Amino acid sequence: MNQKTSFSSAYGWFIQRITGILLAFFLIVHINILHFGEKFFIDFNMVTERLQGSFWWGIFYIIFIPVVLFHALNGVWGLVQDYRPSSGLQKTVKAFFWTLGIVATFYGILAITTFL
Amino acid sequence: MYEKKSGIIKYYFDEWGLNKNIGTFSWLLHRLTGMILALYLFAHIIVVSSGLWGPESFNTWLKVVQTPLTHFLEIFLLACIALHLLNGLRIILTDLLFVTKQHKAIFWVAGAIFVLFMIVTLSVFLPRVFSH
Repeated sequence: MNQKTSFSSAYGWFIQRITGILLAFFLIVHINILHFGEKFFIDFNMVTERLQGSFWWGIFYIIFIPVVLFHALNGVWGLVQDYRPSSGLQKTVKAFFWTLGIVATFYGILAITTFL
Repeated sequence: MYEKKSGIIKYYFDEWGLNKNIGTFSWLLHRLTGMILALYLFAHIIVVSSGLWGPESFNTWLKVVQTPLTHFLEIFLLACIALHLLNGLRIILTDLLFVTKQHKAIFWVAGAIFVLFMIVTLSVFLPRVFSH
């Protein structure tokens, strides 16, 4: 355990809590509208109508997507560390998670723009 | 403490065997629900991104994922989300507001909110499962 790793873990721990607070808000809004609304069969028109109803929905998902991906991958990173992997494997997994997170963020935001 | 773990599942069972308490239970539950939700997240992004290929593609995929079985599985998904969210808020409260001594009481409050949430969820989703 060198000092750099400790700093990285501390940031990860803190950002996990901040993203967790943000996700509580994002998820309650997202799930309440999509799963507890009157219409429960979701289709393209319904999603488009909702997202074009307010400019803020675009902003909502552009923030929500990277936040949820960071929280998810940082959380799985914690599980990976439970396994006590070698430093080489840690670097490989970390690089893979960062690549996956960045690609999925752009892909997710691109997917949302279809409805805007 | 830092020895390499030979089997991750065994490690979790061992931890439970050593510390059968609320803290270990919620720690294990948080890892289990977190893993399920992380896997679901990527499946969700793939399904929603079908919109990139047009409304027909999106609607076809949405028909596949809106069946009695998937509506039933959504109850399980919402249970995972609620457990992870409530336990996550419990962790944040104990970590950032320094209320570690109250963590057991917060656990039971979170548990009560979870039960109420599941009663509402079941009342909404069970009719959907049988409405197809």
